[in-house]
Parts: sequence; structure tokens; C-alpha cells
Amino acid sequence: MGWTGTIVNGVLLGGLYGLFGVGLALVFGVTRIVNIMHGEFIALSAFIALGVSSLLPDVHPLVLIMPVVIVSFALGYALQAVLVNRSMRLPDPLAPLLLTFGLSVIVRNLMIEGFGVNPRHIRQGDFGQLSIDVFGIPVGVLPVVTLMLAVTLFVILQLLLRRTELGRIVRATADNAEIVRLMGVRPASVYNIVMGLSFALAGVAGLMLALRTTFTPFSGVERLLISFEVVVMGGLGSFWGAMLAGIALGVAQLVGLRLNPNSGFLYANLVFFAFVMLRPNGLFGTRQ
Amino acid sequence: MKKHSATLSTLGIFVILAAAAPWLVGDGGVALLFEVLLMLTMAQLWNLLAGYTGLVSMGLQCFVGLGGYTTIFAANTFSVSPYWVLPLAPLVCGLIGAVSAPFLFRLRDAYFSISTWVFAEVVAMLVFITPGLGHVTGMTLETAREIDYETFLLANFWIAAALAAGVVTGIFALLQSPLGLGLLSVRDDDVAAASIGVNVWRNRFIAYVAAAAGCGLAGGISFMAALFITVTTAFDLNWVVAMIFTVIIGGIGTLEGPIVGVAIYYGIRALLTNVFALSGSWYLVTLGAIAVITMLVAPRGIWPFIRDRFGIELLRVSRKLVDDLPHAETTAITSKTTANSRFLDYGSD
Amino acid sequence: MLLDVASLDAFYDDLQALHDLNIQVERGESVALVGANGAGKTTFMRCLAGLIERKRGAITFGGHNILRMPAEAIARRGIALVPEGRMLFPSLNVEENLLMGALGRRPGYWNLQRIFTLFPLLAERRRQMPNTLSGGQQGLVAIGRALMANPELLLCDEISLGLAPVAVDQIYASFSRIRIEGTAIVVVEQDVKRAASATDRIYCLLEGHVTLQGQSRKLDLEELTRAYFGT
Repeated sequence: MGWTGTIVNGVLLGGLYGLFGVGLALVFGVTRIVNIMHGEFIALSAFIALGVSSLLPDVHPLVLIMPVVIVSFALGYALQAVLVNRSMRLPDPLAPLLLTFGLSVIVRNLMIEGFGVNPRHIRQGDFGQLSIDVFGIPVGVLPVVTLMLAVTLFVILQLLLRRTELGRIVRATADNAEIVRLMGVRPASVYNIVMGLSFALAGVAGLMLALRTTFTPFSGVERLLISFEVVVMGGLGSFWGAMLAGIALGVAQLVGLRLNPNSGFLYANLVFFAFVMLRPNGLFGTRQ
Repeated sequence: MKKHSATLSTLGIFVILAAAAPWLVGDGGVALLFEVLLMLTMAQLWNLLAGYTGLVSMGLQCFVGLGGYTTIFAANTFSVSPYWVLPLAPLVCGLIGAVSAPFLFRLRDAYFSISTWVFAEVVAMLVFITPGLGHVTGMTLETAREIDYETFLLANFWIAAALAAGVVTGIFALLQSPLGLGLLSVRDDDVAAASIGVNVWRNRFIAYVAAAAGCGLAGGISFMAALFITVTTAFDLNWVVAMIFTVIIGGIGTLEGPIVGVAIYYGIRALLTNVFALSGSWYLVTLGAIAVITMLVAPRGIWPFIRDRFGIELLRVSRKLVDDLPHAETTAITSKTTANSRFLDYGSD
Repeated sequence: MLLDVASLDAFYDDLQALHDLNIQVERGESVALVGANGAGKTTFMRCLAGLIERKRGAITFGGHNILRMPAEAIARRGIALVPEGRMLFPSLNVEENLLMGALGRRPGYWNLQRIFTLFPLLAERRRQMPNTLSGGQQGLVAIGRALMANPELLLCDEISLGLAPVAVDQIYASFSRIRIEGTAIVVVEQDVKRAASATDRIYCLLEGHVTLQGQSRKLDLEELTRAYFGT
């Protein structure tokens, strides 16, 4: 596979990265909190998807998307309602950050204890290996499906935010959480819904991760950093920027691995640093 | 003056205890105290950054690891006893801290925090792929073979004790100084601080480099004593996880807080391993749960909670407001600092 | 009586901003609140809207004690605040900003179409973003947004601040239309003449105290000056 193939697959990987990032972007855009648990939840989702899949071996894992979305939404909603909202009442902006940090450590270590450190993967028979030829470049079907799924979810999210009353309320709360109370909106309730949506997106991302590659309880850390990089590079308040950033990082990642198979996420991280130094507001940053 | 004599006597007691430790607690105790003192050092340094300068770092493990690798690599390369090259650890780490700070400081709050984490990952990966540093298998400290075990253990312990005492005393002295007042003002409101001429950037820079150097030295000592280093142990996120948890639980922005936090940290560990026979991950889960609960219930930490309940004062670095300010001005100032210091506490009166 | 404020004290942390305020508003009445900067006018409005935590005394609205009620609940009960600085949502266009006001689904005369009839200027600009509008136009949107809630009590905090007189005229002209629906209005104003001509009664605040109250038409200018500046 030549460089073209690497780049094409990098773009497809970018779809997954964009999916990682958009949940984090949503939460940050509305609540100004960076949810450090985000990565751990992606990993946790992967494990849960694995578990459910092994219970239902005849069901194709992609069918699990709807249940994953629903359960993840509920978990995110509950987490925000019970814990995170409480930490936001304190005047210190560090409180939610440190809270989600603490929670991420708890979840990660529970996963280590519960699932062990061996790499896992959801077997899907031949589906995972299926590839089609696009202009002579072998392209995996699963990555294409992932990209399409990511774009679809993006579009749904944008429609939700731009065309519905709920979307108006979310955008208004993100603009000014105090004034929105004058219209009868309880910001904490909005945050609950937003965290739920964020978790739903992370849940789907975890499912796709489990299908695509092997994962361990340590996979969450890497995904958090990628998600964060996607959000920052994409610029605050722009989901399409996050998508593009995801693609840039995906390409950087695969090119880097090609240069040095042992480099892990090094090249993606370096691209992030370079980018952030040159354009601190991100690709389409509207707010800092 | 009264405060100084209290400090000196505390320091004196500490020196005596440290010297006598081997005869008081035996080898096992010394090994444990060694760990505790290094942990205390690192917690104080994280607290210096987060509690006093407002820089929440999630990447100090970077310097712990670099300090360790510097020490072992230099000792092996120059074929000398590691004690000779130990000073290189804080030097290298201070340098890298100084070079990276201008870049990282461009980012604020959560952005800064996570970027320090990314930075640590980048450094870890660079160390991993650099030839000559052992890759997956890691590096062994070759030149410690000549030293006999007992001497090695005691020497390392005393060095760690000296480091801990030095860092705590240093931070205490720093906060009493004009530079320290500058730091506190930056922590509370950096815009206001800048407007009255406090050099925000420089204060943060000094604190960051100090923390980098300090953690580098702690890492150097730790891995020198362990005789062996790998990328996984050197740049383990759990270094900074422990720092964060101990400080949050103990009391962020106070000098006593990290001491209390470290005591609780090791107390819980002893409880879990000896009484419940649970493994390392459960320990982190428990600690994490305690940290989370502390943050929600007693956000300033356990030490401020106890201190305010019973009115005890040990190493407080307090700032009394001038009494002859007109009432409105004073209330305006206290209202601002009360708002901020509800979580980050510098011992407001 | 629609609104009865008795012995209201309000605090910003340790600083007391309002002292023992007694203010009443009848149904359908229009009341002006004047005073210099820092007199406590905005603080008072925010208290009514539920945005100030630390307060004591009694605020009775429509027979209910709303002192401890959160802002969201107060809004649904029929108090609408046009905040100082207008505070439109920058990410929402004009129409969306207006629609935000109607979330409470309170029954009443005002809906989107009727707001556009009241302010035809806005109809032309319904899809524009707030930062492309002039200060006066933003003021109209802010009032429209509050009206969409069909409030019983409309609070207007310094809506003329920074606006050209023509724009202010337009805003005050709309008040007569608003009052036809029976809505009570409280206007905070620094321009005393304007406030007096547009309202039934007037209160003057100074350093958190009520220093004058009376009929707008029977206002003694000298007395008001003393009450305003505290000489």
C-alpha cells in the first residue's frame, strides 16, 4: 500500500477520531468543563459492547448502536445530575476538572480489576476484514462505515442544535447560563442532557473502537488525549472543525506509524502541539 | 520571630528523627519512609503549582521519569556512582521545564492541564524510541553494584529526607517572601495581579521550573534506589494521580495539606494491603473515591476542615488585611478573595 | 396588589446593597425607579427576577412569596426581566431569541407574529444575528423576548442606556401598547424626565435606600434632586 493508501485510511481513521472528539466538544462548549472521564467512558463502552456481543453472538455488533446510545445517554445524564452539577456550584473552575479526573481514575482502575489488562477485540467474523477496492486502494469496509456513522451523527447533532427548541435552549445556555434562567430554563437540567448526549456519542465511539481494533483498560487515556486534541484543534464551538481536526490527526497518526511502527501516538501529538502553537484558537474557533 | 523559631524547632525535630530513623523503625520502616518522603516532596511541588500558582498540572510524571532516566543513563555512561550524577536530574528537568513553559503557558486552565499530559506522553514516547535507553526492556543501574545494601538504603533515605525538608522549608520561605506574595496574588486573580504590576508570567515560570526540577530530583532518587527503570514505570500517570489525590484530600493551597494527604495515602494503602489483601488497582479506586467525596463535601480538603474547626495553626502562611482601610474597600477585597479561596485556601483570616 | 416588596435587604457577599426597601406595584401600573449609578436599581431588579441569592425580607407577587424562589420558577410565574445591557443570546438569531421568551408557554396576547407587528423593524431582520443589529434594535429584541413570556410584570433595566434618543422614543412608544394588555411595568431609568413622563408612580433610590416616592405627575424637581443626590 503506497502513501496514498495510508492517507486515505488516515482520513477514514479521522472519522473515528472526530467521533471521539465531538462528545467532548459538546460538553465543553456548553458547560465549559473538560470531561476527563470521556476517554475512560469510550473504553468502558468498548468493554460493555464486547460483553453484550458475546452474550448475543448471532447479533451483528452494529445493531447494538441504538441500545448503546440509550444506555450511555442515561449514564451521562445521571453522572451530571448526581455528581458533576454539584461540583459546578462551587466557585472554583478547577472543581469539575478535578472531579472528572478523580472519576476517570476510579473507572480506569475498576476496569483493570474487572477486565484485566489483556487486549480485547470484538470478533465479527469476516466483516472486520472486508475491504473494497477504491481506485486500486484497498479500503476497509469498517472504517468507511465508521466515517459514515460519524458524519451522520454529526449531522443529526447539528440539526438537533440548529432546528429544534431543545437545540435553541442548549445554545442559549452555552451563551449565557444566567440569563437563560429568566426564560424559565434550569441550566443544570440542560447540562444533564448535554452530558447524556456526550456520553451517547462516546458510547458509539467505544463500540466502533471495539470493532476496529484491540483495546485494554488503558485505551481510555489515549482516547481522551485524542478527543482533547480534536476539540482544541477544531476550535471551540465548531463541530465541523472537530471533524477536520480528527482527519488531520488520523492522517498524522498513520503516516507516523508508517515512519516508525513503535511510535504510538507520537506524531499525532506533535501535530497537535505544532498546530496549537501556531493557531491557538483552532481551525474555526469562535470562542476562547 | 516567634514564627521563625517555631519553624526552626520543627525543622530541628525533623532532622533528629530522620537521623535516628534507622534505629527507630528498622530497614523496612526506612524503605517505607523513603517512599513517603519522596511522595511528600512531589505532593508539595504539585501543590505549589496548583494551590499557589493556579497551574493544575497533569504532566509532572514527565519530570519524574526524565529525572530517573537522566540519573541512570548518566551513571551508566560515565561509569560513576549514581550519587555523582544525581544533580543532573534536576538540572535537565529544570531546563526542559524552562523550555516547554513558554509554549504551555499560552494555554489556560483545562487546556493547560491536558496539554501538560500530552507533553508527558510525547516525552515518554520519545524516550521509548530513542536508541540506547533500553526501549521496552528498560535500563538497569549498573554502577550501584559496588555499594552495599545497607549503606545504599540509608544514604538514599537521608537524601530523600533532605529533599523533603528542603522543599517544604523552601516553599514556606518562598511564600513569606515578596515573590511568594506575588504568587498568591496570581493564584487569586491573575488579571488583578497583573494590573498592579505583579509579573504573572515570571512567577508562574519560576514555580513551574522549580516543580520540574524538584520532581526530576525526586524521580532520580527514586529510580536510583530501584536500580531499574522502564518507560512504563518512569512516566506512569499514577505519579501525578497520587500527587493530585493526596493534595486534594489533604488540603490544596496549604503547606500542611500535602502532609496530611500523604499520611492518609499511605495509611489507606497499609489498610488495604494488610487488612483486606487488595491489589494496587483497588487502592487507587479507594483513593479516588475518597478524593471525589472530599471534593464534594469538604472542597478545601481535610486539613483546612480540621484547622477551621479546632483553630490549629502550624505552618500557616497568612496574610492579614490592613485594618485601616475604609470599610467598603475591605469588604470588596474580602468578597473577592472569599469567593476564590473557598476552594483554594491560603489561610485567610 | 400585584407586587409587594417589604423590608428587603440584599447583599453581594458581605456588602449590603439594599436596605429595608418597601416598594409596591399594582396590577397594570407603570412605575419608574430612578437613581444615580450604584444606587441599587439593578440589584433590586435582579432580586425581583430571582438572580440575587443573599436577601431577606418579603417579596410577594400575585399573593405568593417569591423571596426564596429560583429565577426559573419566578419567570414561569409571570415576571419577565429585560436585563441591563439587553443580554441577547449571540448564537441565536433574532427570531430564535424571541422564541426563547416563549418557553414558559404562558397564555396571553403576545406571540411571534404580534411582536413583529409591534416592531416591524424586527420582522425584516428575523434571521439576523444580534451582533449585526444596532443597540436600539437589540433593545427591541430584548423587550420582545420578555413580552413573548406574556408576563404580568415587565421589568426594564436601563433599556435606554447607550441608545440614540430616536431609538429610546420607539421603545417608550411601545409601552402604551404593552399596557393595553394589562401588563404592569417597572422601568429603571437614569433619565428622570423620561421616566416621569412615561409612568404613573416613581421611586428614587440612593445607596440602597428609597429616598423618595410619589406620583410621577406631581413630581417636585427640587425634592427629587435632593433624593437623587442625597444632599
